[in-house]
Order: sequence, then structure tokens, then C-alpha cells
Amino acid sequence: MPNVSRRSTFKLAAGLAAAAALPQSVWAQAARTRLRMTWWGGTDRAKRTQAALDAYTKINAGTQIDVETIGWGDYWTRLATQVAGGNAPDVIQMDYRYIYEYARRKALRPLDEFMPSPINIADFGQANIDTGKVDGQVFGVSMGVNSNSLFYDKTTFERLKIAPPDHATTWAQFAEKAIAITKAASKRGYFGTMDAGSAEPALEVWVRQRGRQLYDNDGKIAFTRDDIAEWFDYWDKLRRAGGAVAGDLQALYRNTPETDMLTTGRAAITFAHSNQLVAWQAVNQNKLAMTMFPQTQGGKAGQYYKPSMLLSISATTPQPQEAARIINFISTHPDAGAALGVERGVPPSKSMRDRLLAQVDELGKAQIEYISLIASRVGTLPPPPPKGAGEIEQNLRRVAETISVGNAKVPQAADQFMADAKRALERA
Amino acid sequence: MKDVDALIGTRPVTGGHPWRRGLAHGLLIAASIGMLYPVLWMLASSLRPEAEIFTNFSIWPASFDLRAYGEGWTALKVSFTRFFLNSAFVASAAVIGNVLACSLAAFAFARLNFRFKRVWFALMLGTLMLPYHVTLIPQYVLFLHLGWVDTFFPLIVPKFLAVDAFFIFLMVQFFRTIPRELDEAAMMDGCGPFGIYWRVILPLSKPVLATAAIFSFIWTWDDFFGPLIYLNDMTHYTVPLALRSFIDSTGRSEWGPLFAMSILSLVPVFAVFLFFQRLIIQGIAMSGLKG
Amino acid sequence: MTTVALPQTRSEPAPRRRRLNAQDGAAYLFLAPWLLGFFVLTLGPTVASLYLSFTNFDLLQAPRWAGLDNYWHMFAEDKRFRNALSVTFWYVLLAVPLELLFALAIALVLDKGLRGLTFYRALFYIPSLLGGSVAIAVLWRQIFGYDGLVNEGLSVFGIDGPSWISNPQYSLYTLVLLRVWQFGSPMVIFLAGLRQIPQELYEAAAIDGAGPIAKFFRITLPLLAPVIFFNLVLQTINSFKAFTPAFIVSGGSGGPIDSTLFYTLYLYQEAFAYFRMGYASALAWVLLSIIAIFTAASFLSSKYWVYYGDEGR
Repeated sequence: MPNVSRRSTFKLAAGLAAAAALPQSVWAQAARTRLRMTWWGGTDRAKRTQAALDAYTKINAGTQIDVETIGWGDYWTRLATQVAGGNAPDVIQMDYRYIYEYARRKALRPLDEFMPSPINIADFGQANIDTGKVDGQVFGVSMGVNSNSLFYDKTTFERLKIAPPDHATTWAQFAEKAIAITKAASKRGYFGTMDAGSAEPALEVWVRQRGRQLYDNDGKIAFTRDDIAEWFDYWDKLRRAGGAVAGDLQALYRNTPETDMLTTGRAAITFAHSNQLVAWQAVNQNKLAMTMFPQTQGGKAGQYYKPSMLLSISATTPQPQEAARIINFISTHPDAGAALGVERGVPPSKSMRDRLLAQVDELGKAQIEYISLIASRVGTLPPPPPKGAGEIEQNLRRVAETISVGNAKVPQAADQFMADAKRALERA
Repeated sequence: MKDVDALIGTRPVTGGHPWRRGLAHGLLIAASIGMLYPVLWMLASSLRPEAEIFTNFSIWPASFDLRAYGEGWTALKVSFTRFFLNSAFVASAAVIGNVLACSLAAFAFARLNFRFKRVWFALMLGTLMLPYHVTLIPQYVLFLHLGWVDTFFPLIVPKFLAVDAFFIFLMVQFFRTIPRELDEAAMMDGCGPFGIYWRVILPLSKPVLATAAIFSFIWTWDDFFGPLIYLNDMTHYTVPLALRSFIDSTGRSEWGPLFAMSILSLVPVFAVFLFFQRLIIQGIAMSGLKG
Repeated sequence: MTTVALPQTRSEPAPRRRRLNAQDGAAYLFLAPWLLGFFVLTLGPTVASLYLSFTNFDLLQAPRWAGLDNYWHMFAEDKRFRNALSVTFWYVLLAVPLELLFALAIALVLDKGLRGLTFYRALFYIPSLLGGSVAIAVLWRQIFGYDGLVNEGLSVFGIDGPSWISNPQYSLYTLVLLRVWQFGSPMVIFLAGLRQIPQELYEAAAIDGAGPIAKFFRITLPLLAPVIFFNLVLQTINSFKAFTPAFIVSGGSGGPIDSTLFYTLYLYQEAFAYFRMGYASALAWVLLSIIAIFTAASFLSSKYWVYYGDEGR
């Protein structure tokens, strides 16, 4: 009797499994050249990218491109598993931080051999090509030019009759404005600006304006304990003066548009990246506008052009040529450009940017104009971040929070940060 | 529900006084609102403009804009019809697999004597203790070599092989509350182990089998990590995986459609819960056999 | 995982025992699906993770042997490990008893013959249906945030409460409450257990003149013991491994200031954010050892308070 049961159990299992697998195996034989491409993003990005890929497969009928998309957080877990398992997608969307982790661990294929043919991105300009380089080799093709950007609540600034910050506003003026907003708005739990003390991009701009970097060419910390102490002190003072969001409110921020202090009605100014304006505006009722991060009096250029996203090829792909052709099409073909718009940031290709200006909506135009506006005010690309940089970014938030919600003193927090950073680099 | 209420009638009714019953209802209703709030908020959010969602926490929608439902259903290049079918298939298979395979193993642990029983039992419990994040990659490699990545096999086959020890242990605990005299009586009637399993234990275990069915369905339906890792092509996506494609923490998310589809995604699990909980409640009628 | 009290058969006279040994064949047939799953699907990856815990595996490159480095770092140097351990212990200590008491209380109420119970049972399960939905993160912020429901209630008494969920002193407790709120699974299991108790026992007790309290302690509690035991063991294991609540509520950071850094959340960060899967594997095996000790202790204690129908009463 037990035999019967067991056998029937397995028969059932096998039957179900076969039913599940059927469509899969049927499809597997269909196409001649088949590639997988993956990116992170929401539905809008998926629709636009799919349209661009459809344009490609229309011209190259022999190619089928299977896409795998998911939101940012889940993307890296899945990608790491696929790479570890030896099943990486052929074309991979990369982030300007993760590309170092993946390229240095030999998960990506250098693209130099595919340039200029099939990847011909000469009209990107050398700076935009260099953003895809890791240790001298090109590993990614930039999909969008991006830079730091303040977003502010235009409606509120107008209502309170306070002049919004602009590209010349200094950190000192910024603090005054923030405090003025808090006072003028006079609303419980509402402040002039978010507390950006825990935001690494803001810290980076701050240290670059002082002529330093986050990391030097050897991957060592390239700013001093005093830099970070002054940074913490700036935000501590601003928070105590009421200009920046209180610590336990700021701690609710999860680096997402919907938890941002602007979105949740806590502040009038937030620190973000220029390609995120559309995402922020979508969840905000008030009108948003953008400008540069504050400046340091007599300081150097803090901001720089960074790639919003890059396209890379897996080290293990059996079809690198075809993958390279797809990347070239997406980056340079007018049809692809029209489909993608400025959703991933402003296209690095000048011809494509000029063509787009006539097609995009108001927010898209604001983005393109912002990127051209800051052209004379951006500095050079910083040295690549070392392994362990991701951990230091998280440490910054934790240490900054010990000041803002844990009431630690600035000097101790600065010491703590430097010690943690050193340790993170040693272990990486 | 009539028949269920009739069965409940066999339970002692709380306090005769109407005011006591009133109090009980009052407390239960108050608690229910606390339980329901997120669902009502999601429902309201699915009906209001996106820019309002994160500043408006009221559960009364000011507008009744059903557009998010239409948009959400077809927002991805594959429609939600497909995702719901995929989820339903995987979750149903998980129910069958878990109930069959785990009850077989549980019967052996609860009723049979065999060598190394303690060892096997300890090993089985041990499989519950390791965080899945660290077995993920070896398991992925395994399924990749079997050629099962991007199929439903990695999500279903483990259930038919009783990999989730939670259910085995659960059933062991319930099987053991059934008096052994019943087994012995069945043995007298010429039943072997399988006969006891099939004719005595299973019929008397409807509540626990229904419980296992509920959990299997709901956990598999809600599971997002397995599908994330093992399903690549969008035509194979399950509902939670499709939902995650609406939100991207670094960019534009579609909150209205996300909440609209999340609400719809609750419907099947809720229905399954209602259906199987009747079997839990009926447990009493079955255990009447015991006397 | 060494010695656990087991479902044992009563000590039998010799002839019977021989017959039971003849059950080996049948038993292994019943166990066959599980054994197959264990050896084919579970064992390999488990052993692999043990091996990886002695390497510097970084996900993307082949692992290199690192001896006991990971374990040494964990115990000698790693402050976040110690913090995660303490956060997790507190969570287990608070969440498990609270959740079980709450689930048992509600199950007892729902087991009664009140009208409309189907409806309530379904409603009470809804929080558990939501699982790790984003709606929960938003909801919890809405209740325990600065302008949240809790503070609105406190303001009636003139108290200006903090933002509970983002205050390192209180944030962990909001997660404990989240777990208590999602009490559906143990409740359903308790309910199923209550339904297994033969009604006749209550009737007989009523004839003997036992009141509701006596019935609860003399009938309900002892007969429910195997189910209580199950819930205790499983909820303890699951709370040690808790991941999703902290992940969605803190956005994966375990913040503020690591105050909600659950053990598995830390493990996940090490593995996937910092590319230290070798170290994460070591963390996992240490957690397994801790859970195993707690589970073994539960099983040992169960000899004194859990009685089974198959043991005779």
C-alpha cells in the first residue's frame, strides 16, 4: 500500500512539473540568436526600454532579447546570485558604484575591443566615455549624464516669499535660508532642509570643494578627520538652529522618493540627483524645481558629471559581439533615443540630446537645461572608489545618526567615522 | 456559512447575558479595525492621485478613480492574467505537495518505530535553522545544473519532497494527539501502516491538514524571494514578483497601480483562507469518531 | 541538534518490539520523499555553506580558503555582530511570549460560539496575509511616527511623544508590536488544536461541576500542550531568523544606529551589500548553533509539560 501512495505522489509531481515546464521548453528552440538583458527600474522604464529593444529586433530579425527587470533593491541580490551561479544575463545595467565591484571581480567583460565598432560612442566626449572606465579599461557605456541636485518646493518658497537657493548659494547662505523657511512656515515638524549630514553625495561635494576627494588613486581615504568633523558640525548647528529636520524625523528617510523629507512634508529642500526629478515630482503635489548643491566660498568645483546608469556585458556571455551591437543601438540610434527619452538621465550623446530637446516634456527639458547649465561649474571625475566604499557609505549614515538621534558629540563621531572607514577598507 | 455556524453551535456559547456578548462583539470589532486599516488604506490609495498617497493617511478615498486598476493590469508587457495564473498554479501545487509529502513523513515520525529516528528527526528540525540566504547560491547552482532555472520546478519540486520541515513537525504534533488505541483497532481489522495512515490518521486530521493547506498556499503565494531568484522571463513571473516591478527605490514607481494590484492579489489568498478555515472548524465533527 | 526528546513509542514488551522493528521498511518508505529532498536538495547546499564559512567567498569570484578567519573576526572584533546578537535576543525574548499569548487568547475567544466568528477569524488573519508588503512599512510609520496615531493619543494627555519608530530607544519595540500584530499563523494553529479537543471531555467536566477556569486548566491547557510546544519552538526559530519586518520597516539598513539590526539582516548586508558571503555563511552557522541550543532546551523541558495522546494520559 505505501508503494502505491508513493508512486502516485511522484506521478503527480512529475505531471505537474511537466505541465509547468512545457511552454518553457517549446520556446527554448524558437529563436536563432537569443540574449538576456537585465535592468532595474519601474514600469515606465520597462516600457521605454522595451520599445527601444523592439526597434532593435525589428532591424535584426534574427535576434531575440529576453528581458529581466525588477526594482533596485532586489536587482542586486538576483544579479549576484546569477553571476555566482555562472548564469549572468548577457547585457547588464550597472550603477556607477557597483560597476567597480563587478568589474574588479571579473564579472564584466572589457568593452575596449568593441570600440569603435560596433560600439561607436565618439560623440559622447571623452569625459562621458571615461565614466565607464575601471582601472583603465572601459566596462560600461553611460546611459545618462547625471549630477547632484537640490530639489526644492517652489510653491512653498513662493508662498513664503523667500528667494530659493541657486547655483551660487554658499553653505552659509543655505543655512540662513533654511532657518528662514522654518521660521516663516512655522509649522510643527516642518523645516527648511533635510539633514544631509548622512548623505555621502553631499559630503563628497563638500570635500571636493575643499580641494580633496573621498578616495585617492590608491583607494585610501583622501579627506581629513577635520573635514568630516566640520561637516558633522555644520549639520549639527543647523539642526540645533531649527533649519534642518530633527534627527528622529530624518531617520525615517530610506533613500527613496516616497520617504523623502520633501515628499512627506517635513522640509522644503532635499539633496538628490538630477535624473530623479521626475520620480520626486510624481509623489509631490507642490511644484518642484532644481539647482546645484551649495558652494564653498572661494572653493573648487564640487559636483561632477556621473553616469546615472551604465550598460555592461557579462564576462561569460557567449555572444559578446551581439551584446555590444545592442548596447551601441541603445546608446546611439535615434529610434532608441526617442523611446528612452531622458528617463535614465540626459543622453551623453550630443546629437541625441539636441534631437530630444524638441521632444521631451517640461521636466525632461528642465533636466537637460540643468546639465548644460552646470557645464562650466563641474569638476573632473574623482578617482574610482575602492572595494569597501559601499560599507563606508552606510557607516556615514550610522555615525551621522549617532549625532542627530543619539546625542553623540561631533568630535567623537568624527573619530568613530575615520576608525570605521579604515577598518572597512582593510577588510574589503 | 450556514452549516459552519450550525457546527459552531456545538461549542459552548459564551455567557448567556446579551451585554457580555455585546462587549465581546465590541472588542472584536475594535480589534478588526486595527487589523483592517492597512488594507483599507491600500484600497483608498489605489483610488487617489499618486501625489497624494504619501501625505494622506485617511482611509476614506475622496475620489473613486478606478483607472489604476485598468492601468495596473496591463502596465507590464505581460498582463496580470498571466501572473495570477502562474501564482495560482505554483501555490496550488505547493498545497498538494506539502500536504501529501509532509503528512507521509510526519506519519513515520509520529507513529512508526525505526532505526535512527532521533537522528533523522533532529536533522529535519535542523533544516529549519539555517538562514536561507547562505544556501541560496549553492541551491541556485544545483537547480541550474538540473536545467530548472526559469521554470517552476525549483518552486514546486521541493514541496513534493517535503523540504519544509515546518509542516512535518506541525503534523507530527497533531498526529500524536490522536489516541493510539485507534491504530491498534485498525490493526486488528488487518490494516498495515498505510491503512492506518489513510483510514485513521488522515480523516482525523482535517484541522491540521487544512492549516497546512492554508499556510502552504498563502506562503507560496506571497513568496517573493524564490520567484525572484528562479524566474527570469516575465511570462513566468508570479504576482508578488510582478508587483515588485512597479516599484524602484531610485526612480519612478507606479504607486496607484501597485496598490490596486496588491488589493486584487489579496482576493485569492483571502478566498483560500475562508475555504480551508471551514475544514479547521469542522474538526470537531470528525473527532466525534474518537468517542 | 544533539539530543532531542522525540516522539517515542511507549516501552513495549519484547515480542511487540520485534514487530515494530519490522516497521523499518514501511517507515523508510513513508520517509522516502523527505529523504530524497533532504539528500538531493537540502544537504548539498547546507554543506556547501558550511564550507564557504571557512573561505573568503565574495559572490563573484571563486572562494579561497581562509581557515578560521571569519569566526575569529566575528568573536574578537565585530561590534556590529555583537549588537545584532543583542538586538535579536531582545526581539526573541519579547516577541515570542507576547505573540503566543495574544494568539492563544484570540484563538480561545474565536473558538467560542459567537455569531459571525467566520468573519472575525478572517479579519484577524489579514495582517498575516499582508506579509512583507510595502503597505506595512507605511502603516507602521503612520502609527509610530512623529504625527502618528500613538502621539495623537498621547497629546490628549499633553504628552509630546517622540517619533517612536525612528528613535533608537524605542524602534525595536515597534517591531515587536508588528510581530504581535501579525499573529495569524500561531492563532490558526491554536484554533486547529482547540478543535482537536473532544467536546465530550468538557461535557463530562461540566457534569463534575467544573467551572470555565477549571476546564481551561484541566482540559484545554494540557490537551493543547503539544500545539503550544510546536508554536513555541517554531516561533522561537522564526524570531531568531526574523528578516522581513526589519528589512521593510528600516529600508534594509537596520537603523537608526543599528537599533533594529536583526541578525539575519546583518548577515544579508554582509553577503549581498558588502560581498562577504564567506563571512555571512559563518554568521549563519553561528546562528544555527544558537537556535539549536534553544530548540534542544525546549525539547528537554517538554518532557515535563507536554503530554501526547499516544502516550496515554
